[in-house]
Amino acid sequence: MDATPHILVVDDDREIRDLLARFLERHRIRVTAVRDGREARRAWTNGHYHLVVLDLMLPGEPGLDLARWMRAQSDVPIVMLTAMGEETDRIIGLELGADDYMPKPFNPRELLARIRAVLRRAGDATDHRTDSAARALLFNGWTLEPARRRLLNPEGAEVALTGGEYDLLLALVERANRVLTRDMLLDLLRGRQAGPFDRAIDVAISRLRRKLEDDGRNAQLIKTVRGGGYVLAATVERR
Amino acid sequence: MNLRLWPPRLWPPRLWPPRLWPRSLAARTAVVLLLALAVVQAAALTIHALDRMELLRLAQARETAARVMSVYRNLVNVDADQRAAALAEMRRLPGVEVVLSESPAIADLPPTGPPERQLLRVNMNLAPMPGMLRPHDIQMFGGPFWHRLIVSLRLPEGGWLNVTLPMEPPSFWYSRDFLIAFLLMTAAAALLTLWAVRRLTAPVSTLARAAEALGRDVNAPPLPEDGPLEVATAAAAFNTMAARIRRFVQDRTELLTAIGHDLRTPITRLKLRAEFMEDDEQRRKMLLDLDELEAMVSATLAFGRDAKSTEPVSPLDLAELLRTILDEAADAWPDAAEKLRYDGPGHLTVHARPLALKRALANLVANAVNYGGGAVVRLIPPAPGISHGTLAIAVEDDGPGIPPQELDRAFEPFHRGEPSRNRETGGVGLGLPIARNIFRAHGGDVTLANRPTGGLRATVTLPV
Repeated sequence: MDATPHILVVDDDREIRDLLARFLERHRIRVTAVRDGREARRAWTNGHYHLVVLDLMLPGEPGLDLARWMRAQSDVPIVMLTAMGEETDRIIGLELGADDYMPKPFNPRELLARIRAVLRRAGDATDHRTDSAARALLFNGWTLEPARRRLLNPEGAEVALTGGEYDLLLALVERANRVLTRDMLLDLLRGRQAGPFDRAIDVAISRLRRKLEDDGRNAQLIKTVRGGGYVLAATVERR
Repeated sequence: MNLRLWPPRLWPPRLWPPRLWPRSLAARTAVVLLLALAVVQAAALTIHALDRMELLRLAQARETAARVMSVYRNLVNVDADQRAAALAEMRRLPGVEVVLSESPAIADLPPTGPPERQLLRVNMNLAPMPGMLRPHDIQMFGGPFWHRLIVSLRLPEGGWLNVTLPMEPPSFWYSRDFLIAFLLMTAAAALLTLWAVRRLTAPVSTLARAAEALGRDVNAPPLPEDGPLEVATAAAAFNTMAARIRRFVQDRTELLTAIGHDLRTPITRLKLRAEFMEDDEQRRKMLLDLDELEAMVSATLAFGRDAKSTEPVSPLDLAELLRTILDEAADAWPDAAEKLRYDGPGHLTVHARPLALKRALANLVANAVNYGGGAVVRLIPPAPGISHGTLAIAVEDDGPGIPPQELDRAFEPFHRGEPSRNRETGGVGLGLPIARNIFRAHGGDVTLANRPTGGLRATVTLPV
């Protein structure tokens, strides 16, 4: 990963493009901002990007079509900006292989945290990135569906997860049997959680254990690693 | 508010004692028609009876006249010395009394009335008899009213023949069979009337049901536009009205949604601009304002979207959903974390729309935290062994509650608890309406009540 990642921002509002570019550049991210699908394709051929921030509500070519086109070209991570609560857009986008989404209006700091988390995931373990075709990750009878961001228990009933819990669990499942340091996990939760970050990890892990019916005192599924880290001890099957 | 709106009362609920003037249209129409039927039947019966009595009167007059004349003829035709024997012979006739006398009968009866006398006299004149033998004078007394008639005939050679014979008034009825047939006919007509009235007024109750259904769901199916012309016209008018209401609701929803969508861009810009503010404290406050603004827009959009929920129904663990909502509430309001508690089974699988149900329940918890400083969520599973039971979720707080007269209004869109509209507690006044829409779309409901020990309890019921 370059010292300064280069990302492509596609949004039809000039003010938002300019402000977002200034904001991200202040946080040492290089930004190319374009207004629609046509400009995005031109910019795409002229440069190399580490990540794309894509507004799905674009004039002319729909954002979902553009995402599909980009996905066909490369594995570049995509963070979608979706209309608030438009579940169908979000699900289609995630099924297309977008890496994350932010409902608009977004909190800039949260977007920054997501961009960093996605870049880190893409950068440090490309071989372990969720295969965009994988619709379900199965472990110990549990099913995690990235496209719909949901967890199903062995009986097939959905178990509610907060956004942070989902991110944490996905990271653990994607890297099953590998130790994740607290720093890596903190990165995932940054921007998600209010309150002190170090406590947030412990709280989120204990809630995840409760939901996965993993006894906190004698955890078998999400194990605590001495020296500060967690590991998911399970075989993961991809479907 | 104990006004019962459904089902509408179409038939008087109490059958005994009956009301003189019933409330339902069908019963009123039936009463009017049956009264009319009774009047018509009575008139027809009277006309018929009068007609029949007239006929009977004619026949009776003819017969009576013939009998009198036959007595007279038999007597006139014999010689004067044999008349006593003939008289004795005739006295054997039942009910007939024949007397020869020097004078007309001295009757204890008044003279016969002119119409009867005329009728009898005409019929007597019809009797075939040589003119010289005809009676020179005829006097009559009594009649059907007195049950007997006395006729005094003056013989051609002098003296009077007084004939007394029975004369019954004509009877009103032919027979008992006629009366029974008449009553049966009347009963059959009455039953047919009742049936027809129920049938004809049925579309009114259909219309009432349709109006009720429209009140609950603007997308209720239209009325069938068939049947009698007036009913079809009313149904068509109703459907047109429903379509206009639907259009109106749609327009309003679309307007809200459009405003919500349009507000997203400026809010995003402001959030970005806030990041460039130097003053950390001001920036923090501005971001809080913007979050609140965003929450309002998001609630408005959610309210507009509820009408057309497309989220599929899937199985979910309701107990875990409630605990997650409480966890998120604890993250959002750390001060209230101590007072957030779940009480219920560890797991309970239900079929529902996960995101919608979560939004609805989260709204109730948020309300409890905002107004009551905490929330105890109780999950009461349906009674075991019942396949189609109802589960209940109670969200309780220790806040001030709601004045009883406000309990119903709390579910009105944009209605907020305090008259002062204190911004401290936030909200747009859409949390409860959205929640109720969602629970009702799941076939359940939510009600509010003040707890006897203080605080408010929201009770959700959901079919399983």
